[in-house]
Amino acid sequence: MLENLLAGADNVFNIASLAAIAFGVLWGIIGGMIPGINATIAMALLLPFTWGMEPTNAIMMLIGVYCGGEYGGSIPAILIGTPGTTAAAVTSLDGYPLHKQGKSGIALGTSLISSTLGGLLSAVILIFIAVPLASIAIKFGPAEYFGLAACGLTLVCSLGGRNVFKGILAGAIGVFIASIGYDPMNGIPRYTMGLINIADGFELISVMMGLFAISELVLQAEELTGDAKFSIQSNVDTRLPSWAIIKTFLPTAFFSGLIGVVIGAMPGVGASTACFVAYSEVKRWSKDGHTFGTGNLKGVAAPEASNNAVTGGALVPLLALGIPGSNSTAIMLGALMIFNIQPGPLLFQRSPEIPYAFFVALIVANICLFIMGYFIVKLAIKITSISKPILFACIIALVFTGAYAFSADTFDIFVTFIFGLLGYMMKKFGVPYTATVLGFVLGFIMEANLRRALLISKGDWIGGLFTSGLSTTLIVLAVVAFIATVYQNMKKPVDMDSIADDNNAKV
Amino acid sequence: MLKSRKLQIVFALCLVFIMLVAVGCGGNEAPKEEPKQEAAKEEPKEEPKVEWPTKNIELVYHSKAGSGGDMFLRAMAKSLEEPMGKSIIVANKPGAAAMNAWKYVDDSSDGHTFLGVSSTLITSPILNNLPLDYTSFEPIAMMFVDPMILFVNAEAPWDTFEEFVEDAKANPGKYNIAGGIPGELGFVAGKLLQEASGIDINVVPFESGADAAVSVLGGHVDGAIGEYGEAVNQLDAGKLKILVAFNKIDGVDAPTVGDKGMDFVIEKFRGVVAPKGTPQEVIDAWVEGAQQAYDDPEFNQYWNNMKLVKTFRPGAEFIKVMEAQDAQIRKYMQ
Repeated sequence: MLENLLAGADNVFNIASLAAIAFGVLWGIIGGMIPGINATIAMALLLPFTWGMEPTNAIMMLIGVYCGGEYGGSIPAILIGTPGTTAAAVTSLDGYPLHKQGKSGIALGTSLISSTLGGLLSAVILIFIAVPLASIAIKFGPAEYFGLAACGLTLVCSLGGRNVFKGILAGAIGVFIASIGYDPMNGIPRYTMGLINIADGFELISVMMGLFAISELVLQAEELTGDAKFSIQSNVDTRLPSWAIIKTFLPTAFFSGLIGVVIGAMPGVGASTACFVAYSEVKRWSKDGHTFGTGNLKGVAAPEASNNAVTGGALVPLLALGIPGSNSTAIMLGALMIFNIQPGPLLFQRSPEIPYAFFVALIVANICLFIMGYFIVKLAIKITSISKPILFACIIALVFTGAYAFSADTFDIFVTFIFGLLGYMMKKFGVPYTATVLGFVLGFIMEANLRRALLISKGDWIGGLFTSGLSTTLIVLAVVAFIATVYQNMKKPVDMDSIADDNNAKV
Repeated sequence: MLKSRKLQIVFALCLVFIMLVAVGCGGNEAPKEEPKQEAAKEEPKEEPKVEWPTKNIELVYHSKAGSGGDMFLRAMAKSLEEPMGKSIIVANKPGAAAMNAWKYVDDSSDGHTFLGVSSTLITSPILNNLPLDYTSFEPIAMMFVDPMILFVNAEAPWDTFEEFVEDAKANPGKYNIAGGIPGELGFVAGKLLQEASGIDINVVPFESGADAAVSVLGGHVDGAIGEYGEAVNQLDAGKLKILVAFNKIDGVDAPTVGDKGMDFVIEKFRGVVAPKGTPQEVIDAWVEGAQQAYDDPEFNQYWNNMKLVKTFRPGAEFIKVMEAQDAQIRKYMQ
């Protein structure tokens, strides 16, 4: 393995490759920062320019974009409450409250450090166990995917704050929205009311930008009255976190990174799910779990570490199985195939220096990410010196442009607007729209895999769902977590603490 | 200080807008100079009668930049530029079950807008009850077939298709085979296979061939019907094996459904169509150009790497393929 690693490193440490990675990371961060452009799109945009390049450099550049894109989304999520990518939606839960409290520098620093850490962790894990990890990924069949999605979905219960049912309601709305579009088992359009624009369902990105960004802007605009209209937020502390602070979230970042690697390795799940699962697990096992959502640094570290760890995990099915697990890796597979590099078990036997070069590139990309992220954060934080009305106008323009840019379909601009109104109403009634996004992300995975599992077992629920120890564990865990949260919530008398929390969350 | 801060903000905004411009262009690189120069030389010789093309040609596709079909079209567009004598720009109009792209081409009247198509042109109008379908366009040519295969885990007890059929006949409804969503070709192929060989298998819909291949590897299903290109890495590594191929694949030692005495044809096609009313001369120029594109060594390598099978069927032959596919899908939708 060591000689493969050295041979791989040999491919990376030359000017052209390093420049390709560095450019890729920068391109990715900028793309990630723009609402509507995620890592996949940023990659697709670069693709035509890679055709003349050395094959390995081209792939390394795409790896750089992937890393940068997964990180970049967190910057607007923290600074303006508008996640740049769907995965960063989770980051805004705690990141944006932190910014409002003036701890912008600390939040951004936490996100950068956790992202780098998650990415590095995933790269190191890959070097040691990429092939064994692939065999874990294939253990996930329909029943296991259902269990995993169910586990993630239990988070909706605890997102509702004082009232567990508000969370469940919001989650149910999300699952319902996920069921709009074609039926995954029959291919028939559902709930589309004859509108062909939603025959394939809603785009996650336009739904999310509406719920998060538009609703937040409208709410904030309401508060702008009189002299406050042209004020800027004055209490912004741009200092990055100190070592004493970093120490508090390191274990969280490490744990979430592991979750990210494993979920990333599963085909068809992706960074958004990884973020939600990591956030939910960290919240569940933290002593200060109840402060999540009000500006807890761990709530920033968990999603950021896991979404960057997904980059390494996602390379597992791509390189070890030759099967792309996500849109981003599908683009990489396309690029590999153009250059006639055939990933899969044979790649590790015939030319192991290629996958190992990618692993080393991933490490280099993460180091690049840290350095560039540092400067970009310093630059981005200046956004807070723009007066609010101007900033809001810019964000609205950017959000609608992003909604269009993502799909090149004007219909999605209306989708963003409608979900903006929905999000605004939900905020007014204290219904957590994050749970709606969660339900939307996991609803489809859950439904399709449940029905697939039942088709395979010919309608036998027990035999279909409890096929393995893994699926049994996941489903039992989900059921227990659900019942425990609801029970606790109903038993607990209304205490002053949680009212205070609720009020904090609303401000 | 203030000045430098402003500069920094302006710099950051510049980067943002460069990216947005890049999106707006849908990944179309800078204008290509070389083909134009050659065009100037060739045009008077080749097309003395019809003044076509007089400007750059737009080739529209229904999925996003970076998708498999989009990348194929871009590679083809590149190799078409020389014979056509103009730049060919691939434009992505995704969304609305492919209607956005089709309507755009159907509405175009400049004579330089064409449509890249796949079997989605047959499936989506049926599934979504769209006002446009394959009969709304003038066929130019079918160019390639994405070969489909029935594959199983290498450790499966069957080595040949006959063994599988025998086993499946003895155990009707027992075996789960991953396939596409009803209405898609993978699903239709499963139905056709069952009918022609007289077996009863359980076709389980999967949204993507990649997920299906993983499920076969993990033993969650007994086999899958999918594109050869999606399973080739595992096939070559000996982790999967082909029982029968639905299309002949060059250089691959696999029996086809025809070899096994089943007489049905299913072809997941890729081709180009024009809006209704396009002059015959323009169609002819396209057909000729498309044939020449096959000779481009770079394009040649591309489709070989992508495991596509060259299948050239111009005009009326292309219609026949689409008609047959339309009937097949309609039959198995209910």
